[in-house]
Amino acid sequence: MRLELRGITKRFGSLIANDQISLTVEPGQIHSLLGENGAGKSTLMNVLFGLLSPDEGDILINGVATRISDSGDAVRCGIGMVHQHFMLVPVFSVTENVVLGFEPTKSFNRIDYNAATEDIRRLSRQFNLEVDPDAIIENLPVGTQQRVEIIKALSHDAELLILDEPTAVLTPQEIDALMEVMRSLASAGKSILFITHKLKEVKAIADVITVLRHGRIVGTAEPTASESELATLMVGREVKLTVEKSPYKPGDEVLHIRDLVVLDDRGLVAVNGVSLTVRAGEVLALAGVQGNGQTELVEALVGMRPVLSGTITLHGRDVTHLTPRKALDAGIGHIPEDRHRDGLILSMSVADNLVLNTPRRAPFASRGTRNLAAVSENAVRLVKEFDIRTTSIEAPTSSLSGGNQQKVIVARELSRSLEFLVASQPTRGLDVGSIEYVHHQIVEHRNRGNGSLIVSSELDEVLALGDRIAVMFEGKISGIVDPSTSRESIGLLMAGHTMEATSV
Amino acid sequence: MSDVATKPRPSLWVRYTSSSPIVVTIYALILGLVIGALIIVTTTPAVLDAWRGLFSSWNGLPHALNVSFNNVGAGYREMFTGSIVDPQGFWHSLVTGKGWPNTLTPLSETLTYATPLVIVSIGVGIAFQTGLFNIGANGQAVIGGIAGVAFGSMLHMPTIIHLPLALVAGVAGGMLCGALPGVLKAYTGAHEVIVTLMFNYVTYAFLLFMVLSTPFQQPGQSNDLSRTMDPTAVLPPLFGTKSGLRVSYGVFVAALVVLFAWWLLNRSSLGFDFRVTGANPSAARASGINARKVIVVAFLISGGLAGLAGVVQVASTTHYVDGTFLIGNAGIGFTAITVALLGRNRPIGIVWAALLFAALGVGGRNMQSTTGIPLDLATVIQSAIVLFVATPVLVKEIFRLRNVSTVGLQISTTGWGS
Amino acid sequence: MSLLDKPTESIAPPLVNSRRTRVIAVLMALVGLFTLFVFGLGSGAKTHSSLTFDPINVVSAPIKLGSLSMSVRWTDVVLGLIIIALATEVFVRQPRRGVMARFGGVATLFLIALLSWAARSPGPSITSSVNITSILVGSSATVMVLVFGALSGVMCERSGVVNIAIEGQFIGGAFLGSMIASTTNNFFYAAIGGLFVGGLIGLVLAFFSLRYRSDQIIVGVVLVTMLGGLSSYLTLQVLTPFPNFNTGDIAPNLAIPGLSRIPILGPVFFNQSGFFYVMMILVGVVSFALFKTRYGLHVRAVGEHPRAAASVGINVIRVRYINVVLGGAIAGLGGVAFMAAQGQFQVGYTSGYGYIALAALIFGRWRPSGAVVACIIFGLSVYLSYDLQTYQVPVSGYLLAMFPYLITIAVVAGLIGRVRPPAADGQPYQRD
Repeated sequence: MRLELRGITKRFGSLIANDQISLTVEPGQIHSLLGENGAGKSTLMNVLFGLLSPDEGDILINGVATRISDSGDAVRCGIGMVHQHFMLVPVFSVTENVVLGFEPTKSFNRIDYNAATEDIRRLSRQFNLEVDPDAIIENLPVGTQQRVEIIKALSHDAELLILDEPTAVLTPQEIDALMEVMRSLASAGKSILFITHKLKEVKAIADVITVLRHGRIVGTAEPTASESELATLMVGREVKLTVEKSPYKPGDEVLHIRDLVVLDDRGLVAVNGVSLTVRAGEVLALAGVQGNGQTELVEALVGMRPVLSGTITLHGRDVTHLTPRKALDAGIGHIPEDRHRDGLILSMSVADNLVLNTPRRAPFASRGTRNLAAVSENAVRLVKEFDIRTTSIEAPTSSLSGGNQQKVIVARELSRSLEFLVASQPTRGLDVGSIEYVHHQIVEHRNRGNGSLIVSSELDEVLALGDRIAVMFEGKISGIVDPSTSRESIGLLMAGHTMEATSV
Repeated sequence: MSDVATKPRPSLWVRYTSSSPIVVTIYALILGLVIGALIIVTTTPAVLDAWRGLFSSWNGLPHALNVSFNNVGAGYREMFTGSIVDPQGFWHSLVTGKGWPNTLTPLSETLTYATPLVIVSIGVGIAFQTGLFNIGANGQAVIGGIAGVAFGSMLHMPTIIHLPLALVAGVAGGMLCGALPGVLKAYTGAHEVIVTLMFNYVTYAFLLFMVLSTPFQQPGQSNDLSRTMDPTAVLPPLFGTKSGLRVSYGVFVAALVVLFAWWLLNRSSLGFDFRVTGANPSAARASGINARKVIVVAFLISGGLAGLAGVVQVASTTHYVDGTFLIGNAGIGFTAITVALLGRNRPIGIVWAALLFAALGVGGRNMQSTTGIPLDLATVIQSAIVLFVATPVLVKEIFRLRNVSTVGLQISTTGWGS
Repeated sequence: MSLLDKPTESIAPPLVNSRRTRVIAVLMALVGLFTLFVFGLGSGAKTHSSLTFDPINVVSAPIKLGSLSMSVRWTDVVLGLIIIALATEVFVRQPRRGVMARFGGVATLFLIALLSWAARSPGPSITSSVNITSILVGSSATVMVLVFGALSGVMCERSGVVNIAIEGQFIGGAFLGSMIASTTNNFFYAAIGGLFVGGLIGLVLAFFSLRYRSDQIIVGVVLVTMLGGLSSYLTLQVLTPFPNFNTGDIAPNLAIPGLSRIPILGPVFFNQSGFFYVMMILVGVVSFALFKTRYGLHVRAVGEHPRAAASVGINVIRVRYINVVLGGAIAGLGGVAFMAAQGQFQVGYTSGYGYIALAALIFGRWRPSGAVVACIIFGLSVYLSYDLQTYQVPVSGYLLAMFPYLITIAVVAGLIGRVRPPAADGQPYQRD
């Protein structure tokens, strides 16, 4: 199938998620769409699969302009999608999942499972997709579940397959197997749109590469392009954010992580023997493509995820197995990755959110009774000090802009006496002004001689803030470099190349 | 603050009508009364007769409308005079200074009905604020009542110890009952709705067992009747037994509960933990709150208050329990769910909502005895009101309210899917 | 680290499961010991009890079985030992499946032991007897109503909508059914009326919870309260002044020629009212529809993973509307069936059967067949809790009445087996 997108534009309010996107996928071609998280890849795919309708632009299938208004339409047009979060019913068998929505029936509306199973076996043989039709999905490993998704698309006669971040959940072996399958599909004439942010995979499999950034196509490349070239395209050269920093004067060791192993929600190893040291008066920036274990590392540090093995010490004190409460009391500040989920109570007032994790501490409460005067006083002071724009300290936090919501968290964490600050994606989704402000506050904290660990997938942020930069890849530290290192070398580390640390 | 301050300040009217909780509640009340009126019109024989004569005479329509309005009007008027005050009697008493007990009886009855309702509703409201749905308040109140009567009737001591002991026994009984769903939810993840719903029926069976078993059953009785509480253990009438007004010292218990709940939810650290957990369990965990502890403690408080309501109910009215104590949907524990929702789970809101529902219930009795319209109409109106309160978007659509934001008004618990 | 490739999640769950299985085994063993020592060895060596099997109205029973006299002591000792053996088996083998079935078996054996003990006579001469057939026939009406309710729950919850309003649909069906049956003297019309009113209540539930995404549990609870109030209101307003509307017929039994003459089974299964036969057919139909047909696959997909269903073009909201209305109609029919077994409508006489049906649905793991088994156990225990009072039992029947609820609590807490509701049960669906 030949698919052509012409000038697809999709807006969410003032945000332009896709801006005049045009691209063509030829039959039998593996077309790779490369971009950072939030670059607009998923929006584009949802448009293509009928889950979102574009504000402008056309979709042409084999040269004919086609309107796709729901996912049923997309499937009928021969588009199959393998979602990042599988659209499989966990308690159903493979066969049931594959036939869902397109069931062959016998008399009395009964499903003809024999016919369906036969179909699955045929596809399974043809494309080397080994799977037991009678197995229950939830008992299957993730890689096999993905195969079921592919079979499901193929059984609906898909001619174009969209694979949305298909490798994000796979083990290296499973990735190799998937690559094989993709090749055999392409050689059978199926078109494949492969969405990813992993450079190595793109180079290994793609026929054509389109790079997306901030909703726009910023370039196309051949698979022969070097990884650093691709990384540069993907991350971009934007206005450099400069932060006034006092000279780097590292003090004593504050935080010491040794051989840390942490599991993710699925029970797989996410942090695989990480050792790091952060000194006083230093910002250690943790760079890396998202999903390489940074989230789990941070959660382990703040007591929200159990540590399987290894140790964490803060000022020589063991803080490996703390509850969130104890971690807070030990003086570990936390700016969480998802502020709406973990950082704020949106329905509560700004004043309450400013004491969210210290409600029982003097002077905010004594003997179980809250001292609302002190809470208000604290709020008035912090609103002023951190320039939080709100109609009143009693306004619900949901009424604040994203930048001001983040300032509430920053103010809350930096205003209590911290031993150490952990910030995860501290400026995600913020406007430039707020970014500068948050950066300024983090640097102030460092200038006062405190240690911080900043996790970010934005290279600019990492370079602006870090006194040293550690790069994480697949649960391990692939290198620790100094901020004068070129973007290209850091890009290589992010892609998993190891090298001798250039500075420690 | 600059970007906000530059906006023109909305007029008082706009600000008032867009203060959503109040507006939506008021419109829901109106809708509930309209539905009640429709039910009266479509089921009262006299009204139906009038409508049947619609085409038989030239004034059929005005007559039919007139009869409809008269019946509905009479019904709602009797509800009012039966639950709050009868204006005629009030003037009579005011002018002559006589007949006060009679004039105040409706109000006294409403307060008597509202007293335990406030207490149990606050318990349900506290659980709601913690994100927990306590459908078992009725069962907890039953156990509280049993415990209160047991301590009040089988031990004998002076009032100063006996009355508090009976009340504490009720609280303890309710807590014991609330501990089960709390602990199961916290440690096994059992859905509290299923557990509390089922436990209600366990408590009813237990009640029937108790009132028919030897130590608790009224000696010499073979009916489902318990012993009677000692006079030292009951909540005496506020104006003495001679006045005939039933409103008891229980109102002070309820007032204390309201104060406690207000302090707990708005001023205490524990209540802050409750609200944080209810609003965002994930952020609660991140901010160091021990979710298990919060769930268990919230259920203990909720159950304890329900138990207290049970004993207050008994100690201020019948002084004994029988096999029909709080049984079925008329039980205060079920009404409490609707009261808590109507009062938006806030102590003060619950007081108003409980007074309203008590007035509807008490007024309904008067309506039934004077106009023959059954008092159960009150239950229907109450449920309709809550149905609308729980669906603010619908109210907004019916009244075409544009300025009213319904964000955050939708009440939601989760079903038992994972 | 080789850990990287190996899922490590399977470390914890089996430990937990084995502990739970052991808890059940211990519970079963306690029941067995109780049976053995209290019922068995606690009875005198000569106590006998007599079980009879012939229906009381003997018209259709050509074959007389007479009565079975047995030694209470030895019967209950044997039953107790069997229960202990089952408990030991569960404790030692820790079977992955069928723990619940074994527990159900133990419950049944315990009930038999209890019955034989309840009907005991001190000596070899028989003074009272337990009529097994009449117990089964008597409880079958309760079981039937519970099955209707549980099937209603299966329909709704399998599509992802919690239906707590079953009790309300019972009330509505019983009320309208009584009115129609009284005026037309025709239970078929009454059944149609029940289907209609139940479906209507289902529609209200669906409207609020699907269109406005109101909380399904709250809407359900409020609907029950409302229907309770409305039925009481209408009883006083309509049924009391016009008693002709509520004359209280009981649906006649339609004996199936031949089959109804089989001992025990005949009176229980083949000499029942039409509603009973409809119920039996409905169990088959719902099972078949849910697990064999295209429609059923869509329903289950919508209840488990609505987004996945939507991604292949299934209209989630439409499927849920259909199921909630159909489920409501089934519960409404159950209300009529209840009325047809109990006679004229009385306020509050469904007394929580809707919630027992809900419990049976959960105990039966959201499957029609499982729900039927649960309904039989629950129905029997509810019936016996009243019936036992006629025998010389020192234990109050009310303690037995707690059984369905307590066991459901134990089930949802994971103390007995593990139940897993449809994953999207009770969660509002919003297209993204």
